[in-house]
Amino acid sequence: MIEAYDDILLAVDAVSLSFGGVRAISDVSFDIRRGEIRAIIGPNGAGKTSMLNVVNGFYHPQEGRITYRGRTRARMKPHEAAVQGIARTFQNVALFKGMTTLDNIMTGRSLKMRRGLVWQALRHGPALAEEIAHRRVCEEIIDFLEIEHIRKTPVGALPYGLQKRVELGRALAMEPTLLLLDEPMAGMNLEEKEDMSRFIVEARRLRGLTVALIEHDIGVVMDLSDRVLVLEYGRKIADGVPDDVKTDPRVIAAYLGVGR
Amino acid sequence: MGSARERGVAGDTFAKLLRGHASARGGRAAFRHKDLGLWQTWTWAQVYDETRALAAGLLALGLERGETLAIVGANRPRLYWSITAAQMVGAIPAPFYADAVADELATLLDHSRASVVVAQDQEQVDKILSTRDRLPGVRRILYDEPRGLDGADEPGLAPLEAVMAKGRAALRDGAIASDLDRRIDEGRGSDPSVILYTSGTTGRSKGVVLTAERCIAAARDTVAFDRLTDRDEVLAYLPLAWVGDHYLNYAQGYVAGFCMACPESADTAENDLREIGPTFHFAPPRVFEALLTRVQIRMEDAGAVKKWLYRRFMDVAKRWGEAIANGENVPVFARLAYAFGDLVIYAPLKNALGFSRIRVAYTAGEAIGSDLFAFYRSIGLNLKQLYGQTEAFLYVTAQADGAVRSDAVGPPAPHVELRIAPDGEVQFKSPGQFVGYFREPDKTAEALTEDGWVRTGDAGFFEPDGQLKIVDRARDVGRLAGGQLFAPKYIENKLKFFPNIREAVAIGDGRDFVAAMINIELASVGNWAERNAIAYASYQELAAHPRVAAMIEAHVDAVNLALSREPMMAGAQIRRFLILPKELDADDGELTRTQKVRRRFIAERYAPLIDGLYAGATEASIAAEITYEDGRKGKLSGTARIVDVLLHPKGAQARAA
Repeated sequence: MIEAYDDILLAVDAVSLSFGGVRAISDVSFDIRRGEIRAIIGPNGAGKTSMLNVVNGFYHPQEGRITYRGRTRARMKPHEAAVQGIARTFQNVALFKGMTTLDNIMTGRSLKMRRGLVWQALRHGPALAEEIAHRRVCEEIIDFLEIEHIRKTPVGALPYGLQKRVELGRALAMEPTLLLLDEPMAGMNLEEKEDMSRFIVEARRLRGLTVALIEHDIGVVMDLSDRVLVLEYGRKIADGVPDDVKTDPRVIAAYLGVGR
Repeated sequence: MGSARERGVAGDTFAKLLRGHASARGGRAAFRHKDLGLWQTWTWAQVYDETRALAAGLLALGLERGETLAIVGANRPRLYWSITAAQMVGAIPAPFYADAVADELATLLDHSRASVVVAQDQEQVDKILSTRDRLPGVRRILYDEPRGLDGADEPGLAPLEAVMAKGRAALRDGAIASDLDRRIDEGRGSDPSVILYTSGTTGRSKGVVLTAERCIAAARDTVAFDRLTDRDEVLAYLPLAWVGDHYLNYAQGYVAGFCMACPESADTAENDLREIGPTFHFAPPRVFEALLTRVQIRMEDAGAVKKWLYRRFMDVAKRWGEAIANGENVPVFARLAYAFGDLVIYAPLKNALGFSRIRVAYTAGEAIGSDLFAFYRSIGLNLKQLYGQTEAFLYVTAQADGAVRSDAVGPPAPHVELRIAPDGEVQFKSPGQFVGYFREPDKTAEALTEDGWVRTGDAGFFEPDGQLKIVDRARDVGRLAGGQLFAPKYIENKLKFFPNIREAVAIGDGRDFVAAMINIELASVGNWAERNAIAYASYQELAAHPRVAAMIEAHVDAVNLALSREPMMAGAQIRRFLILPKELDADDGELTRTQKVRRRFIAERYAPLIDGLYAGATEASIAAEITYEDGRKGKLSGTARIVDVLLHPKGAQARAA
């Protein structure tokens, strides 16, 4: 696969999305550059999660175009997004609660497993070699995210902050090109947020990831992101580097709820 | 009595011991470390090679004889090897606590005159870099784990791996290899072998200088005492900077030639313990306590059959376990019951705790509750007590197999001389005795008596069977205004034996009566709250709950009853107490890094609460400044209810329950 189109990994062009009569996104355009950390912020109900769902193909917009890796995208299913190298985490952690941390992260490798179910059930010969190789990748992620101590713990028994970390681990196990994070730091204390920020920055640096994230903690967003897209009522009200966005009167108004 | 010199110079330094093991048992496991989920093993021959490579690399960097090499980090094979590599070239290793904040670390690094620092990872490197302007002497910072540091470009910063590679390449040159051999041969037993900084319970940390021959002489004594061999294995999880780790794991390991397994990370130590199954083990009382608390909580939640089996056979163990362990005469039916209990409860329990293979286990550092101690002894764990100090290179007293009790710390360890000064202070001379505090001759002089004995600063006395009993820090023992003896730690320890009480501070010197400030144990009280449908959102909220106060009051009453039966202590019962609205924390300066309460500091910070206790108030408020680990400051405020407790008459019998 040829990757060198230009530095725009994904472009969203004049996209609108409605559910019946409800307009979730109206005529929004923005792009995500390769290797950047791109934040999407906005008040509740601004259409942030909808936008993430458009990006990973879960929703298909009624209007507008999405260009990913230089190719305009047709309607697709979410698992196709995974095949194309888009991984995501969810606002309300979506893990297999009864399975261990390690097994959850291993599920992130399922697309990369080439041996069929029967081979895997036998766990011999090439299937075993393959499992060992995948286990190694997962162990490196476990080491990276500093979750060795919960390797064999069922994730349902873990505190929320650690579940978020495991979910990030599973997304990383897919070795994605584009990582979508829906409120990766919701409900975390300061220390956990700092850890998570560090993991995101390091993951980008070491793995050459592109990251798009939704986050409510404005301090974290401004520290972490290269560029920030601000949505309000499904419309784009600002887009730019954190310093500009921070001082934009429309953004301030949206967040403080004045001047409308 | 044989000094190290008489026992031959063949193994009078750790570098020589390592060389000896490489040839005598080169194929046996020396170090393990769990990495990416798998245990990696190095044999003694490999460790010798790696350490030589490291030593040659350090020489190439210009590390000179007599310079200090600082080591900061967790238990990692290469950090241990750095210690030996420094010793090989005649430099002095000084390990530091990995959880020290940047400012604390900088002060100690500066004091140690470290020129090269071996740091475990980015976290430690960042701390050192952030204070580098205060550390002009630090020429090199070498790191073991490159993660997060591969792009870093700071003068003198380099990966340890690169230094070792350079050393390995240099050693191919015969001249350099034989120069290193010559350095090992020239190492003398009387050279300083290590500087261990004290934890600073009683003020600023001091650098305790120990010589190689004394370290090794002491370790030889206890290796013989506990019959340790190269078949033994330990989990090296104690802080690298602590004398306990340097003695029990490093020194004993290098003397006996046993294997040191380094845990994957601090958080996994418990799991790693189960996987390694050490044969020799040390843990402070609070670790044994936390484990027992967890077992008890799990049993509360277990099914009826398991619960019944556990209760039934723990009773058997309590009644007969210690007698069987001590080889006493025990009826046949009791032996049968115990054997069956071992099958269904004790052995599986020990296995779940990782204690199955332990031959010898020690605990020290604090008094241990008799119930807690008896629990582990009764399920067949050979748990013993020792009493030690950094200045002694650990052992002052140790209990021998079969002569174990919970309320004393044992007779003098082999070749240790012990005496009690007229004012009650314990003083000793020991084979591992320190040569002085680094760069503080005046402090050294203070620590020694005129006739050359080391002052421990602890007050104690000998029991009739020759075992030493420690009461308190000599200078903390005080008197109430009425003249009764007041030993705060003695009272605090009695309180802390209750699983619901994590920490306690007793006050009373010069006062009319004894008062106590108590920290509840969140794990066990939280579990109790859950079972009793008491909702709480934080420690603070739980601590303020009236039913928690009632529960703690019952514990305080039990302590008072116990005190009332001791002629010396009956006058020092607790009259009023409160539950602290905040957990005491080492990061806030309230505990030492080894988790001992800093009484003076707490007395200052919590002065408003103490005033409330003595002013007869029913509650008291506090506003305390908190410093977080990264140096930021915050405020904590809270209110505590004060509870009055009834005192028991001297020599009282138990009140009807």
